[in-house]
Amino acid sequence: MTIDCRGKQIREINRGIRAGLASGEVEVLNPDARHNLAVALLQPGAVRIRGSVGYYCGGLMDGATVHIEGSAGWGLAESMLSGMVTVRRNAGNGAAAAIRGGTVVIHGNAASRLGVSMKGGLIVVGGNCDYMAGFMGQKGVMIICGDAGEAFADSMYSTVCYVGGRIADLGNDAVIEPMSDDDVALVESSLRTHLGEAVRATKPAAHAFRKVVAGKKLWNFSHRDWKTWQEAL
Amino acid sequence: MCGIAGYLDRTGEAPYPLGEVVLSMLQALGCRGPDSAGVALQAAPRPDVWTLRVKLGETTDEGRGDQVRAVALRHRGAEYSTRSAYARFTVPSSEDLAALTAELEAIAPQIEVLSAGHSLEIAKQVGSPANLDAAFGVRAFRGSHGIGHTRLSTESRVDLSHSQPFWAHGCPDLAIVHNGHITNYHQLRRRYQQRGVRFYTENDSEVIAVYLGERLRRGDSLAAALHGMLEDLDGSFSCLATTSRALGFVKDPYAFKPLVYAETERFVAVATEEVAIRSALPGDYAVVEASVRDVRVWTV
Repeated sequence: MTIDCRGKQIREINRGIRAGLASGEVEVLNPDARHNLAVALLQPGAVRIRGSVGYYCGGLMDGATVHIEGSAGWGLAESMLSGMVTVRRNAGNGAAAAIRGGTVVIHGNAASRLGVSMKGGLIVVGGNCDYMAGFMGQKGVMIICGDAGEAFADSMYSTVCYVGGRIADLGNDAVIEPMSDDDVALVESSLRTHLGEAVRATKPAAHAFRKVVAGKKLWNFSHRDWKTWQEAL
Repeated sequence: MCGIAGYLDRTGEAPYPLGEVVLSMLQALGCRGPDSAGVALQAAPRPDVWTLRVKLGETTDEGRGDQVRAVALRHRGAEYSTRSAYARFTVPSSEDLAALTAELEAIAPQIEVLSAGHSLEIAKQVGSPANLDAAFGVRAFRGSHGIGHTRLSTESRVDLSHSQPFWAHGCPDLAIVHNGHITNYHQLRRRYQQRGVRFYTENDSEVIAVYLGERLRRGDSLAAALHGMLEDLDGSFSCLATTSRALGFVKDPYAFKPLVYAETERFVAVATEEVAIRSALPGDYAVVEASVRDVRVWTV
């Protein structure tokens, strides 16, 4: 099934996508970076968007797969429960924010606040991520093949991050932990699966990634850590 | 919320007319700012004249057109025309722009020189981008680069003077648009006022024009002045600036406000949202979100 967005209201497009999912794959033409495309998809099935999307694409989703062949605006896949969202180019601020599960793959770069407050799921970024990625991450895994921006992994709970490039600056309570064999295996299999063999070969070797987790100093208040708290707040 | 947009044609052939591109971008951003719309467009520079655009009243000339025309003629003015609440005319560039501005603005408190320079033309008013086009014929405007704004007012009144873009009064051809809040605005404004700088509005964005104007007059490049904003201005800002030769932007250190750009061999386009760029410019090109403290300047 094919839906051309030109001349259609966003609700009409989304109704069409939901109806089309029942019968398999839906192709979306001329998205023109419009907002709220393919949101709240609550059943399995694949949506292929031939172009760029605006804000909140793939948000509030449970179980579907959305492939975006251009870039994405703010709030990509926000609060996704399960499913998969892939972006061929770049993603805007707050991609995969507060996801509870599923997989978000960004082949280009992610802007600020990637995966903030994520509560599960997997994020794979082929390029770099910008300011404050992983802030207050509670669960889940974030893999960045390129460089991470400032305040990386600030004030996290139990999200685990892996960075293949340089880290501009670690956030409050973020610490680097040695890579275990399991970590190397997880990074390797995730990159192979989600970037493909050919692209994976262009990225750093899995053992060269650095693992960033919470130092747990902010988990419970203690007077001894007063300085850290002052800084964090 | 507000919407900002900028466009620079790199081919020199203007395959997409400047006015049409900037207007299309603003229309795509219209829902981000329904209060007012405006553009600051750079035409082919005319070194021999200053082009002035003067606000006569809020929506009409309010009977002040004749007085402004008389002042213009005394300064060897030519090409005098009025449109909506505006007068537009040129004077030879040997005329003292500061003295002329002071004389015009002494006619009545409502009168304000909205733009002046060898290439800059600002058109702005309360209402939608479509109404702006109907009033000023923005779509037909030809030039090399320019910026635009759709406003959702959050801190000061909605009228023509408080609309954006802002001309940096006294600094020919320099104009800005801004999405965000300048939180040390009052402090900066007091400091400038103590030095005799006049503020025309209570819009915090105006201080950006004042700041950049002062830096450029001191001999700084546009890039250096935009970098300076990261040190001297607090708050959230995605800001675009244009001079007769350049288009540039700066994004605040916390990336509070959106700003994306696309750079190809043919053009540079910058906007609050990608939808603005895609709806105005066809083609297969990448769009990138600006990073924290990003400063970029392109010249024609």
